[in-house]
Amino acid sequence: MTQVVFPSLSKETPDAEGVLATWFVSEGATVAPDQLLAEVQVDKVSADVVAPEAGVVHLLVDEDSAVRQGTPIARID
Amino acid sequence: MTITEAPHATRRLSTSKAMVEAIAQEMDRDPSVFYLGEDVGAYGGIFGSTTGLLDRFGPERIIDTPISETAFIGLGIGAAVEGMRPIVEVMFTDFMGVCLDQIYNHMAKIHFESGGNVKVPMVLTMAAGGGYSDGAQHSQCLWGTFAHLPGMKVVVPSTPADAKGLMTSAIRDDNPVVYIFHKGVMGLPWMAKNARSTDEVPEGDYTVPIGKARVAREGSDITVVTLSLSVHHALDVAEKLGPEGIDVEVLDLRTLVPLDREAILESVGKTGRLVVVDEDYKSFGVSAEVVATVTDHDPGMLRVPVQRVAVPDVPIPYAHDLEYAVLPRQDRIEQAIRAAL
Amino acid sequence: MTTEAASTSIPQQSRRSAGLDGPARIELYETMVLSRTFEEAILREYHADKGPGFDIGKGLVPGEMHLSAGQEPVAAGVCAHLTTDDAVTATHRPHHFAVAHGVDLEKMAAEIFGRETGLGKGRGGHMHLFDPATHFSCSGIIAEGYPPALGQAFAFKRRGTDRIAVAVTGEGAANQGAFHESLNLAARWSLPVVFVVEDNDWGISVPRSVSTAIGSNADRAAAYGIPGERVENDVEAVYDAAAGAVARARAGEGPSLLEVHTLRMWGHFEGDAQGYRPDLSEVSEHDPIPRYEQTLRDAGLLDDDKVDEIRRLVSTAVEDAVSFAKSSPIPDPSTATDYVFA
Repeated sequence: MTQVVFPSLSKETPDAEGVLATWFVSEGATVAPDQLLAEVQVDKVSADVVAPEAGVVHLLVDEDSAVRQGTPIARID
Repeated sequence: MTITEAPHATRRLSTSKAMVEAIAQEMDRDPSVFYLGEDVGAYGGIFGSTTGLLDRFGPERIIDTPISETAFIGLGIGAAVEGMRPIVEVMFTDFMGVCLDQIYNHMAKIHFESGGNVKVPMVLTMAAGGGYSDGAQHSQCLWGTFAHLPGMKVVVPSTPADAKGLMTSAIRDDNPVVYIFHKGVMGLPWMAKNARSTDEVPEGDYTVPIGKARVAREGSDITVVTLSLSVHHALDVAEKLGPEGIDVEVLDLRTLVPLDREAILESVGKTGRLVVVDEDYKSFGVSAEVVATVTDHDPGMLRVPVQRVAVPDVPIPYAHDLEYAVLPRQDRIEQAIRAAL
Repeated sequence: MTTEAASTSIPQQSRRSAGLDGPARIELYETMVLSRTFEEAILREYHADKGPGFDIGKGLVPGEMHLSAGQEPVAAGVCAHLTTDDAVTATHRPHHFAVAHGVDLEKMAAEIFGRETGLGKGRGGHMHLFDPATHFSCSGIIAEGYPPALGQAFAFKRRGTDRIAVAVTGEGAANQGAFHESLNLAARWSLPVVFVVEDNDWGISVPRSVSTAIGSNADRAAAYGIPGERVENDVEAVYDAAAGAVARARAGEGPSLLEVHTLRMWGHFEGDAQGYRPDLSEVSEHDPIPRYEQTLRDAGLLDDDKVDEIRRLVSTAVEDAVSFAKSSPIPDPSTATDYVFA
């Protein structure tokens, strides 16, 4: 089981809050390593989040919800 | 109907990422392809047209320009004439005014004026559309103006898959192709997005033919001909009306030049009722051309008058409620469909 | 009599033309005579059937006609440094540059006559001559020929060649946005371009003193960080100045601006009575071709026999081209919508 966390986009403010802008995969989907999972945003900077390994992904936050940097956003089993 | 070459594996991408993927794949395949425009380098394009490409291809092929549309569009023309395949970006369709001569008097006419001896294989990309309060000079569509001027193909993808497929086709086309992407379909994280701005996109080499519309939703009661972001609004309305027993067919034009008149006639021939939804200005443009396609062929095909849902010949207002009163959104589309039934 | 060039920011070399031997000087003369003879033939053909008054849409060569008599030194002096691998983008007054750059005379004449055998199969006409074989093009929109030249130069540079693009406009065009955008972008990207400004004093009926805030467009070059030079309407002065500009471009040192104070001997277009022009009666005194002929006669390079021979050969070539045009087929109206797309 691997956790996927919201990346740190704002280094100056480690616990800054951003948004999970887009999920590219659905709950329970099988994903491959490096597959695009989500796009996140802090202030005006956005970034892609990719799967660290293969497995079944479980989404822990909703699209458009506010998320603090470092918070787990998905789990891969 | 979408024509694909072979069954592809797919995965979900936003329209922006799908467009970027097409550009990247073509740049890998053909060293003469390069992309230039304002803020297309490190910034990745103001509306996400080139995100990540600078890191991948370097500043020789992803090139930031000065604010000199006439000069850099002309540069694209000259490079294309000499056999390269440039993709040139005008940041907003609204900016066409400062550079229109290079576009319609040069890019679009050189092939004709030379009796076919000189080709201009370039792509001109532009962001279009409103709905996020950017005001009259930054919210226009203007695809009708480009479509009206002879010598350039005009494509307007609405979905991620079409964004990729049409970009690939546009780059490979030996003609000038104006590729207009609505900011609202890009799936950008900093703008309200509709659910279909992220969708399945075929992997690998994928083309969508220029000049072919797509039936986005089959229906038997009424035809809605539309393009770009309005396709998604029309689909929203169709989904809402389905349970009421109103079966709406939505035709996504995808290309304006050359216009798929056969697809329009086939659909209206089936339903006898036509609603045209176009976010460009109403008069003297795309919606009238769709109607004329039908009436030139046989006005008897229409059981009722046509309904046109477009921006009513007014500059786009800034205030949110005013803007949404003039945009062709779900409420006006639904009203038009009911009026035609 | 030699004329003094205006002060320049290109390091000055001796005004005695380096690299211009006898045969090269005769060739400059021949190019100018060919160009003028061609224009005289077009002038004759253009007016032959416009009567009884002047109906612009009438005759075998209808439409607007902008002829280059008097401006031959610019084309001859610049194009002497080019091969047909180099690009030239010209203006609505293009014939002298087309002739000097080596565009096929027959195909050019046929295009001016709107025939199927023309450069553009009759689709373009005299202001829209495209010749891929010599990378020659022209445009009827003021200053808009500069930007595509940038692109040709960009492609040449990107491919690692020393080919260049020569971009031509008039002095009136130097007040148009495309001019300024092009100079800045070419300078910023160090493109192998030679910008040529033909200052013939008149933007149709408006003199430069009325349209332009400064005295010489060559001075505008400094605003873009590139060298600028202004010379008078002398083919060897043009040749010398162009040598430096072309060499810079080929060496990868970027663009330059060359302004030639030239002479528009005839109207802006044919049919222009030029009532606005006070110097009209003196124009022929400044014809650059008899003056250069005299220079070469004085140098022992030309005599009556040689001049007659040149004129005979040139006339034959020009009249052959006109005959070819007139005997070529007129395009079929049913093909009027061809060639929109490849």
